[in-house]
Amino acid sequence: MTLAKEDELLVTAYLDGELPPLEANRLEQRISSEPALAAEIEAYRLLRVALRADLDEDVPSSDLKNRIQLRLSLPRPGRSRPWTSLAASFLAGAVLAGALISGALRHQAGDELASEVVSAHIRGLMAPAPADVASSDHHTVKPWFNGKLAFAPVVPDLGAQGYPLIGGRIDVIGLEPTASLVYSRGKHLISVTEMPTGRAPSPPGASYAERGYLALSWSDGGVTYFAVSDAAPQELETFVKLFKAAAATGAPPL
Amino acid sequence: MDVDDTTDQARFAEVFLPHLVDAFRLARWLAGSRTDAEDIVQEASLRAFKAIRGFGGGDSRAWVLTIVRNTSYTWLTKNRPQAVVLKEDLDAVARNRIDQSSGAEGETPETVLIAKIEAQEIRKAVVALPIPFREVLVLREIHGLNYRAIAEVADIPIGTVMSRLARARRLLLGAMSGGGS
Repeated sequence: MTLAKEDELLVTAYLDGELPPLEANRLEQRISSEPALAAEIEAYRLLRVALRADLDEDVPSSDLKNRIQLRLSLPRPGRSRPWTSLAASFLAGAVLAGALISGALRHQAGDELASEVVSAHIRGLMAPAPADVASSDHHTVKPWFNGKLAFAPVVPDLGAQGYPLIGGRIDVIGLEPTASLVYSRGKHLISVTEMPTGRAPSPPGASYAERGYLALSWSDGGVTYFAVSDAAPQELETFVKLFKAAAATGAPPL
Repeated sequence: MDVDDTTDQARFAEVFLPHLVDAFRLARWLAGSRTDAEDIVQEASLRAFKAIRGFGGGDSRAWVLTIVRNTSYTWLTKNRPQAVVLKEDLDAVARNRIDQSSGAEGETPETVLIAKIEAQEIRKAVVALPIPFREVLVLREIHGLNYRAIAEVADIPIGTVMSRLARARRLLLGAMSGGGS
């Protein structure tokens, strides 16, 4: 079952979706009439499946990202200093900047995820824009996530209730892309991060506070949500209630 | 410069960090072990950070993978002049996985185990491939890049991408059906 050289290239390009439609069509007709060709293609497909079989385990340790960030994070303007002191000054700055609700609440089981979500929110605030797609129209924001995620996030419109949508962005939490929506409340921003529930290692607690930010989390229909903001806690709670209600009624499955 | 530095940071976070898993996978397939792969990715992150202003937009993943690939080559030249040594590292990792999966929770279906053993055999065969074939195969099958992107990352013409892929797959199938124990 060795193919001619020319067929081999043809089959290769076909398997990789690189064959123009007409040629692909012609090859498919041949596949249906030539068992040897069909067997070859099947073998290559199995190869692909096996190669990707344990892809989920093929990920770096969780602190690789931290190490890289520590090494590169936020140099103080205008000075060149060794990496270690850069890292130290970054940490000191971040602690001062936060309203010090404090580290005492950190590091409880299951809080790691919430902490990452809070970091993503803070990063959103530091970035040139808090959202990668800026739009108050949920019909623009929702489709923007297509092809970027393996699930479709819900994007409720809460403008009428006083929480206008600003846009959306992709955050990488636990090294996986997640959908984050950005809403505003007065001068405060609220990030809502959505991820498939299975990804959360343990059920996240309902509320988590760090560095002046509050994160409220809940799960619904296989999705875990985190709402993060420095807005007043009651306002965030109200927002979450509205979000839940709108998500339950206003998001027809596409 | 204040503004520039902050922008570099933000840009690096946007361009490099989302592709950390991809970066790690490529480095691991090229270097062999997880530890070495993490070292390579760290080194690549420094290179990427220094070069971040040269990134002109476009496909950030291909850009990151190009840097990781080049860093891997530097690393290999220095640490593994004969790339044969690579094999054992990965074998050990693969064996570990089998042990873990059969030990965990008693109810692992037999079929899963069989699939894993096959995957292990295939991994072995992939690691035995010469690096030029291995890298195009990994970029295609693990990272899902198209030919154009692979050509960019590996710095070869598209036609060469295709012929190397064909060759890599034929070698793999040969190893599986003939040499597989």
